[in-house]
Amino acid sequence: MQASVLDIQGIHKSFGNNQVLRGIDMRINAGEVVVLMGANGAGKSTLVKVLSGYHAADHGQMQLAGKPYSPRDAREAIHQGVVTVHQSIDDGVIPDLDVANNLMLDRLTSGAHGLWVSAKKLRQQASEVADAMGLDIDLNARVADLSVADRQMISIARAMAHAPRLLILDEPTSSLSATEAERLFTVIDRLRAQGVAIVYISHRMSDIRRLADRIICLRDGQISGVFDQAPLDLTAAVHAMLGQAINNADIEPATPGAPILTLHNVELAKGAAPVSLSVGDGEVVAFTGLLGSGMSALVETLFGLRPLSSGTMQVDGQPYAPGNVREALARGVFMSVKDRATNGVIGDFNIADNMTLPFLKAFTRGAFLSARQQRASTEQMIAQLGIVCQSHADSIGTLSGGNQQKVMIGRWLQSPSRVLLLDEPFQGVDIGARQDIGRHIRATAKGRATLVFVSELDEAIEIADRIIVLHEGAIAGEQSNRDIDLNALVAQASGKA
Amino acid sequence: MLKHRMLKHFAVSVTAAMALLGTSLATAEERPAPFDAPEDVTIALIRYISTGDFFQAYLSGVEAQAAALGVNLRVLDSRQDAALQADMVDQAIALGVDGIIIQHGLPESMKDAAQRAVEAGIDVVAFDVEVDNPAIPQVEQSDYLLGELALEQALADNGDRFTAGYVYVPGIAPLDRRNAAWEDFKDAHPGVTEAAVFGTLDNPIANSVANQARAVIQANPMINIFFAPYNEFAAGVKIAVDEMGLGEDIAIYSADISTSDIAAMREPGSPWAATVATNPTVVGEVSVRTLALLMAGEAPGQQVIVPPTLITQDFLNDNAITNMETLSENMPQFSHAEVALADWLPLPER
Amino acid sequence: MALVVYFSLAASGFANPRSAVFVLQSVAITGILALGVTTTLVVGGFDLSIGAVATTSLMLAAYCMVVLEQPAYVAVAVCLLMGAFIGLINGLLIVKFRIPDLLATLGMMFLLIGLQRIPTQGNSIATGMSLADGSTAEGTFSAAFLWLGRHRFDLILERLIPVPVVVFVLIAVAIWLFLGFTRHGRLMYAIGSNERATALVGAPVERYKIAAYMISGVTASIGGILLAARLGRGDIASGNNLLLDSVAAALIGFAVLGAARPNAFGTAMGALFVGILLQGMTMMNAPYYTQDFVKGAVLVVALMFTFYLSSRRGQSGRH
Repeated sequence: MQASVLDIQGIHKSFGNNQVLRGIDMRINAGEVVVLMGANGAGKSTLVKVLSGYHAADHGQMQLAGKPYSPRDAREAIHQGVVTVHQSIDDGVIPDLDVANNLMLDRLTSGAHGLWVSAKKLRQQASEVADAMGLDIDLNARVADLSVADRQMISIARAMAHAPRLLILDEPTSSLSATEAERLFTVIDRLRAQGVAIVYISHRMSDIRRLADRIICLRDGQISGVFDQAPLDLTAAVHAMLGQAINNADIEPATPGAPILTLHNVELAKGAAPVSLSVGDGEVVAFTGLLGSGMSALVETLFGLRPLSSGTMQVDGQPYAPGNVREALARGVFMSVKDRATNGVIGDFNIADNMTLPFLKAFTRGAFLSARQQRASTEQMIAQLGIVCQSHADSIGTLSGGNQQKVMIGRWLQSPSRVLLLDEPFQGVDIGARQDIGRHIRATAKGRATLVFVSELDEAIEIADRIIVLHEGAIAGEQSNRDIDLNALVAQASGKA
Repeated sequence: MLKHRMLKHFAVSVTAAMALLGTSLATAEERPAPFDAPEDVTIALIRYISTGDFFQAYLSGVEAQAAALGVNLRVLDSRQDAALQADMVDQAIALGVDGIIIQHGLPESMKDAAQRAVEAGIDVVAFDVEVDNPAIPQVEQSDYLLGELALEQALADNGDRFTAGYVYVPGIAPLDRRNAAWEDFKDAHPGVTEAAVFGTLDNPIANSVANQARAVIQANPMINIFFAPYNEFAAGVKIAVDEMGLGEDIAIYSADISTSDIAAMREPGSPWAATVATNPTVVGEVSVRTLALLMAGEAPGQQVIVPPTLITQDFLNDNAITNMETLSENMPQFSHAEVALADWLPLPER
Repeated sequence: MALVVYFSLAASGFANPRSAVFVLQSVAITGILALGVTTTLVVGGFDLSIGAVATTSLMLAAYCMVVLEQPAYVAVAVCLLMGAFIGLINGLLIVKFRIPDLLATLGMMFLLIGLQRIPTQGNSIATGMSLADGSTAEGTFSAAFLWLGRHRFDLILERLIPVPVVVFVLIAVAIWLFLGFTRHGRLMYAIGSNERATALVGAPVERYKIAAYMISGVTASIGGILLAARLGRGDIASGNNLLLDSVAAALIGFAVLGAARPNAFGTAMGALFVGILLQGMTMMNAPYYTQDFVKGAVLVVALMFTFYLSSRRGQSGRH
């Protein structure tokens, strides 16, 4: 029996009338990875915030290593050894500083640090931290210039600088490719071996399978299931989380109609084999691959964000080479972009205005917008996608991540498209919302070609008729979504095929 | 800025000295050295402020008088940077100018700089800045007299019982000096009631004052006289009075004048009854003449005051005056000040 | 409301239709400028040059009529074109040259303060002024032009509503409708909230931003025209007080109706609120510096309200 690091009993937390945590008891031991699962709104984030000192619990006790623990703020929590890496990466790094300064930031802000900063000493300490993490990043690089994965590693490395007793990781892999994630897992393994207790929040089955010693499921502010018998019963865990089982990959691949989008000899990366493919009417094709696989090049070329390097593209048999987003839209090529917070959501707007943004012209009567028509269209979409909200006039900021994503996708379903591009449509989306989105995309697929770009194989299998794996700018494999050979796909994605 | 819009007249006496040798090429008028060879003489005008009608007119007076003398003029403008203005004095010393006119500035920064110029053997005249130096004559306009003359006219037109609105922003030196005239006037005439005091320097000043004046008139309908001792104030009050249709019932007495003020005073039914002003061009001329007297070894006096002139609406109408030039033509005492004169000193042509 | 009641009791003569119109007239010009600022605030920008555009327009109108002896409609047209042109330049500096909005419009402000003085060597413009070539300016402000600043329409009372108030109300309604109820306005708000996301739904972001600065330039030039018509002369002025007052009105407008974002209705109300306050205080003989103090206090309170409100709103979605 390992030593308990954190013991909590009867934690309650309400916001106004909204009871978010309704009596949570749990114990986390040293050298253990506990995966916290829960649909959005289950109370995961609130629990994390209580643990990390952002919120105070209304009732209940917490003990850290046997001593009463009730942090007044985040600083005190960190000081006592409870360190949290939050989901939004940019909260964890200062983009305009270089890597070394970012790694050392916490030491710079501590009162113990003197007034002057010695560049040499700072760099030396930073490189120690980087080595301990197995980080291979240029310490002089500006963080803003780094990839998302590198930034994520830096914010975790920063957390490690505090020598935590309990490390909380909130969806750390949501922006990472498989290899990047594997680097993170290696680090987590090392921490576990050192006796750090880890609370890991994720929706990704592959992460959970790889890391979890124990799974705790949250539902409606209560613990709905604990799984600690190896092998862990993931299906039961998902059931406990959602209150229903998922029908994994229950897809009958559709027979595609006439080709709508065709690519011929399009070069996605310098020196890579050119890509040729065709997507037919009613077909949903998922593209998957690691970072640098050429997925983003393909997405951007299709949506007019980068010029066509070579080869030709056709939509409905007509040459297609959009110079900008407007030209792409004019040809009926729509795209729901990834990273919705930066690229999609208009934070000041309500659901209806967010939903109808691309097609405001269609909602204009005379000179003015028709709020009635916007509302009608939005309410229809809210019903179809199962968006959980009070009304179409809710501010977008009041929605959970999954519901925001539904709005972002619904945006492009209001008007018929020829080609629908969905870039990471399941980013930061709980499993329930993910299924709603997948079902709706498949149900409406007739009449257009649908291309889905995901970095998780699970997600591809859930939605696609056909899966194309990209590696280093070329097509590395292709399978119809029936009796998928998972091992082959993984090998192709990592270039080992 | 107002600081500069005031003036006055009157001259007094003395001090002096100097002597530079010049070659004696006799000119027709036998001028004293160094003006017997004016092309070898350079004077510098070192300005603290230059933007605005007053300063433009002042500069043109300086230029005209310098041209009449035939001397070279260098204009240095510090754009309201007191430290730069002091540096410019040193710069002028280094350039080897023969005389310096300091136009405005802060006494704190100019005192030492002016002393350095005197020690370098350069003649210095100060306009509207107190440098507290017996070797440096002061050219001034009298703000007190300006206010006093306008109020006397108000008295003559309206008798000694009236209710006044007064436009005043404290803390601005020339307005404070004009305020002294108003305070004395109130004490001397108990029949005069001050119903309201208001004012602002938010620009455009006339627009902001008009907004205020309207509120004041509304709150104090008994006001029949406005004392607005600055032309921008008066222009604002006039707009308010016109907008309220009270031109017949209210009269405005002010200080300073410009071409657009002449037009405003002459509009049919204009409430703007009179203003008192010193001609800034004349002040510029007097500044140069005072310097010339000093350089020639004559005694301009420690204080040279340019006197103000009363200008009434009736006078403007009777003489069909339309701008500053026709005003000067019709009002000799406005176009020329009988101060700092000498037989040998040529006046600008008119 | 409470303010109106208070001043009605405290200052005799405050509460009557003429008084109300006077408040409107005194805020009309800053209000018009503030509506322009609001438009740039909506797209996430800021226009520091409006005060200078207004005074440049004032000088330009006077120059056209007095020196060039052009009729009123030419002066008005030239001023409007100038405003649009300055807005275009501001927009291009910001969009194409990627100069931050505050810096670009600050530069434009200085440029215009200097430029407006060049044609007259720093002199104000009035009929009868002497020109550089020694002749005298013979043009006059035509009656039609002065009408813009001085005419009053009858409404209930004879000669009650001045033209600038009518223009202010028309522009306020137009901008309110445009920003709030057209797709262009909606897209401009979207740009202000998330420029990138708006570009990715295919909106011509750059054109909208330039348009916002052009609207701002044109409204500022309208303000300048009305100012010229009211003053009847071309006073040189930096217009900085116009800028500060109109920015204050727009920012106070954030708080109106709890919108917590720039909006034309709020801006008009903000301008009116400040106008009522200043009118009442002037009538009660409060000195000018207390008025600045009160303006500042109103602004700070409004901003506290706005930002507290929006931070609360931001939090409510997450727990």
